[in-house]
Amino acid sequence: MPLDGIFQALADPTRRAVLGRLGTGPASISELAKPFDMALPSFMKHIHFLEENGWIRTQKLGRVRTCVIERKQFAAVEAWLAEQRAVWEGRTDRLERFVTNVQKEERSK
Amino acid sequence: MIRSPNPDLDLTISRVIKAPRSTIWNAWTDPRSFEQWWVPAPAKCKVTEMELSPGGALLTEISENGGDFAPHMNACFLAVDALERIVFTTCLTGGWRPAEQPFITAIISLKDHPDGTDYAAHVMHKSNADRNMHIDLGFSDGWGTVIEQLAKLVEKRAQRPA
Repeated sequence: MPLDGIFQALADPTRRAVLGRLGTGPASISELAKPFDMALPSFMKHIHFLEENGWIRTQKLGRVRTCVIERKQFAAVEAWLAEQRAVWEGRTDRLERFVTNVQKEERSK
Repeated sequence: MIRSPNPDLDLTISRVIKAPRSTIWNAWTDPRSFEQWWVPAPAKCKVTEMELSPGGALLTEISENGGDFAPHMNACFLAVDALERIVFTTCLTGGWRPAEQPFITAIISLKDHPDGTDYAAHVMHKSNADRNMHIDLGFSDGWGTVIEQLAKLVEKRAQRPA
């Protein structure tokens, strides 16, 4: 799941409010849409966006579509800074090896 | 000069490297040397521009799995103080032009150390989305805590008998 989409999904106040609500437990689409002064098709776009980016799951039971938060996505965001750290740690390791080798070569000349 | 570090968005790597500052400086500022350590093998890095002065471009390409070289980093130097400090950002491109996808500003600093050089990289990331999320959800202790609290909430919910 590309991280860009994961973050983009969070960049909107409606979608963040939906996630905030779903953090307290599953809810139906109509329940989620209630606080927003928004036409249902527009609201559904937000729901689809969250679903496509792995933040929520939806499930249809009879006539009611229920949304559930996906907790693995939170771990992905948490892992993000750790990943950036790993990139820079690796870079520093390689720089260290590189300059240490350069010195050895210079000494043996 | 680092103003108010943000633990959620900043990281600092510091390391004593057993080599003089000049050797590390050369590894950083000579494009052919830089290419040899910037990306992890087997990927290959190619420096297409490295103009070592404020406003100068730092442009690299990467080849992964033996494929063609593709754009990798498009950055702009903000400060280049010989043997001491390099500051660059991907929020600007060469000539101080605003970038399409701002991401980091990095401060590389070199100081003398009895065993060689005290090398540090301080990297500041841009991420508005998580900060907004953090405010909207009303948690106060930073992004890590937000996730933890929300995860706990979700877990508690999952454990509750149906």
